[in-house]
Amino acid sequence: MNRKYELVYVVSPDATEEQVAELHGQVEAVVQRMGGQIEKTENWGRRRLAYEIGRHKEGIYVLDVITGSGELMKEIDRRLKVFDIVIRQLIVRVDEAETVAERKRTKRTEALRRRRVARGLPPDRQPGEGQRAEFEDDRDDRFDLAEDLR
Amino acid sequence: MNGRKTAGGGARGRGGRAQGKGDTQQRRPMFRRRKVCKFCAEKIDDINYKDTKLLMPFVPERAKILPRRISGTCALHQRKLRIAIMRARQLALIPHTSE
Repeated sequence: MNRKYELVYVVSPDATEEQVAELHGQVEAVVQRMGGQIEKTENWGRRRLAYEIGRHKEGIYVLDVITGSGELMKEIDRRLKVFDIVIRQLIVRVDEAETVAERKRTKRTEALRRRRVARGLPPDRQPGEGQRAEFEDDRDDRFDLAEDLR
Repeated sequence: MNGRKTAGGGARGRGGRAQGKGDTQQRRPMFRRRKVCKFCAEKIDDINYKDTKLLMPFVPERAKILPRRISGTCALHQRKLRIAIMRARQLALIPHTSE
């Protein structure tokens, strides 16, 4: 049962780089031990928090994309809660949302291609084609005045 | 179909304004732009909580979620938007309130 999860955690701004690295090492160890895999790690660095958490105004954000079981994520969640330097964490399951989005996208392109073929056009858009209509649509400023009055 | 959609939405638009004022009083006196769901129009399939740039326009000043009747977002996307905003709020990417 391999599911894909995204884990984002916010580390206190007072933490040193070693501490952040150590924390990441801990997460990695748990993932490895429970038969998961880290697919991607992103460190967003120091960011301003939208609101104060405790006394903190900034945080260090780290994103991990992990495949593994639900138990694994539960364990990580439990462990992160123990650390004082982690001020927020969020685990989200992403595989289902991704497949849905993917399906939608392919469905849309297929429908577009089918329509184009039905109109007797090549299935893919040719360079320089159809620009004109789009341009006219964008420049539709007739209602701008009314919008100001709203 | 849509109550807010006013006459002359298509190519005949330019003349529509004066005509709408002139012929009947019960017609809405001014035009409103027909609102379109941003996510449908731009074909954004997944609304991600990490994308603050995308979400910020939907949480104006007081940081409340902009209602559908104002933003024009369709029901499906408003639902997804709400989830994304709530996740982003948990990570302090987006405020719960301002002040």
